[in-house]
Amino acid sequence: MHAARTDGPIAELRGIGKSYGTPRNPLPVLSDVDLDISSGEYLAIIGPSGSGKSTLLNILGCLDVPTWGSYRIEGEDVARFDDVRLSKVRNTRIGFVFQSFHLVSHLTVLENVELPMFYAHRPRADRRRRCHELLERVGLGARLHHKPPELSGGERQRAAIARALANDPALILADEPTGNLDTATSGEIMSMFGELHRAGATLVVITHDPGIAAQAPRRVAMRDGRVESDSGRPAAAAAAAAAAEPAP
Amino acid sequence: MTFILELVREALRNLGRHKLRSFLTALGIIFGVASVLSMISTGEGARRAIMSQIQQLGIRNIILNARKPPDEGKAQTQGTSFRLTYGLTFHDRDQIDETLPMIEKVLPVHDLDQWIWFGSRRIEAKVRGVTPDYFEHLQLVPWLGRALTPLDDAERARVCVVRNELLRQAKYVGDPLKLDLKVGTQFFRVVGVLPDAEFQSPNRLALGIDERALEVYVPYQTVIDRFGLQITVRRAGSRESSEVELHQIVCVVDSEEDVLPAARGVQAILERFHEKKDYEVTVPLELLESRRKTQRVFDIVLPIVAGVSLLVGGIGILNIMLASITERTREIGIRRALGATGLDITWQFLVETVTLSGIGGLLGVALGALGVHVLRAFTQWDAVITPWAVALAFGTSCLTGVIFGLYPARQAARMEPIRALRHE
Repeated sequence: MHAARTDGPIAELRGIGKSYGTPRNPLPVLSDVDLDISSGEYLAIIGPSGSGKSTLLNILGCLDVPTWGSYRIEGEDVARFDDVRLSKVRNTRIGFVFQSFHLVSHLTVLENVELPMFYAHRPRADRRRRCHELLERVGLGARLHHKPPELSGGERQRAAIARALANDPALILADEPTGNLDTATSGEIMSMFGELHRAGATLVVITHDPGIAAQAPRRVAMRDGRVESDSGRPAAAAAAAAAAEPAP
Repeated sequence: MTFILELVREALRNLGRHKLRSFLTALGIIFGVASVLSMISTGEGARRAIMSQIQQLGIRNIILNARKPPDEGKAQTQGTSFRLTYGLTFHDRDQIDETLPMIEKVLPVHDLDQWIWFGSRRIEAKVRGVTPDYFEHLQLVPWLGRALTPLDDAERARVCVVRNELLRQAKYVGDPLKLDLKVGTQFFRVVGVLPDAEFQSPNRLALGIDERALEVYVPYQTVIDRFGLQITVRRAGSRESSEVELHQIVCVVDSEEDVLPAARGVQAILERFHEKKDYEVTVPLELLESRRKTQRVFDIVLPIVAGVSLLVGGIGILNIMLASITERTREIGIRRALGATGLDITWQFLVETVTLSGIGGLLGVALGALGVHVLRAFTQWDAVITPWAVALAFGTSCLTGVIFGLYPARQAARMEPIRALRHE
């Protein structure tokens, strides 16, 4: 896919904290989060609502900036980015998949998928070709000119996945991608994520469904704005494994 | 550039989703532009009418006409025949020529009250004895043949220059330049034909032409020598004769700045030598001056009317765009999440506003043009739509879009992506 840096993680979070509210009356939602995400990883973030997982995802996706700590994406410190740089990162390096799809309802499926490429100023013919290719890949080849309200939930989410892939992002972020879908459709979407992972994509999926989390090789559990456990951090993983399975 | 074009396409689609709303929003602009365009057009029409009127008369001319004094009546009646002397005199001409140095030329005109004969048919036309300079200074350019020359005058030649209309009324189909016109009892060879001219009534009055505008121009000296000064009009049972030395004097002033002082001088001379008001003075430049005064009022009123109507239209647009942005907050959030910069969002909404006001401007131009057409059909106003008026009206509508679109567009761009995305 994209020529991502192979030496070092794609995302590198150190001591990340986020507080809403005023300095006098702080409302911390994230504190002291350390997290490395390497290229090709498939990561599930689990935790109850209010645990800060969505905030963490927004920070990862450069939609939000941390109050403390440093976040380096592909080696570059996000704290120094202005609006234009942040937008460019979201545009070319990140692909979002949301729980409520977030498709623009008056645009067709094709045009929705086209949007990230439009903002990347890619030529129209090139955009169109890529849209067809992507929508074919997610099985929406026959629905190019439908508008989101005319599609089922599963179809909408597949359109959203196609859109997330448009500019070959380094990091695909999914916030409860199956939250609004029935079990069968959820299965379809999750197997699509599995395929993407096998194709080499880096994925972060937020969920509160343990069954869905179990499909990811690495799981990060969050509680009260902190990372409670991380199966991918070598020491912690060993400890967790040791705790789960007593030595024979 | 293609980026902007794609935004325009997108804007058109968005406006098309709410056709009625877009139309109502643009209505203020439509009426504003229409009123601006029709105002400019009527103003321009009036300006052109005055300009062509002045052009016909000549900006550097002062035109004096003999008028029969109104209260003369039959006071001097002697039995059934009487004699009337009035009008401009040779003395007037010489006085003006000698005392006013800024007057470059004084052109005397003596009219003949004679029938024109075509075989047995007669046509009543105005036969004017003019000096050759008259053609140059009153924009009489022959369409065929030539104007009168100093040689014609010196030789007292029996030649004439006629209006095309005269030939038409005479049903003459041959070569006009081979025609010998019978004026009274004498024959005059046609040497030039003037194109048909349309004179508005003030100009006709100023030039001393009657409605038919069938003039025949003959050399001045020929008239004075061959016909004399006395004109006799026969009426049933009476002989009325009048004597007029000069029917018209055209004073040509050396420059435009000197016209008004020269006109005052001419007035003073005439007042001194005429007991009765048997003359009339027309100063074309004065028409222009009075026109400039009206224009000044217009110059103040027009921008105010235009400004107010476009302000009202602009506020309508501003209001709807602010509402639309609130309504589309989530869309803005989605676009931001997908990589639109604040500037991209600003452009999107600015282009949408300008597209809306631009369409309003086009419809306004159409409505204004229609209004001008109707105005022209039902009134005497000669409104003229000029390209620059259309450009100005349309440009102003687009500018209104930019001015009133900038704030909502900036508001849209300033939204925090994350909040916009969560907006329900």
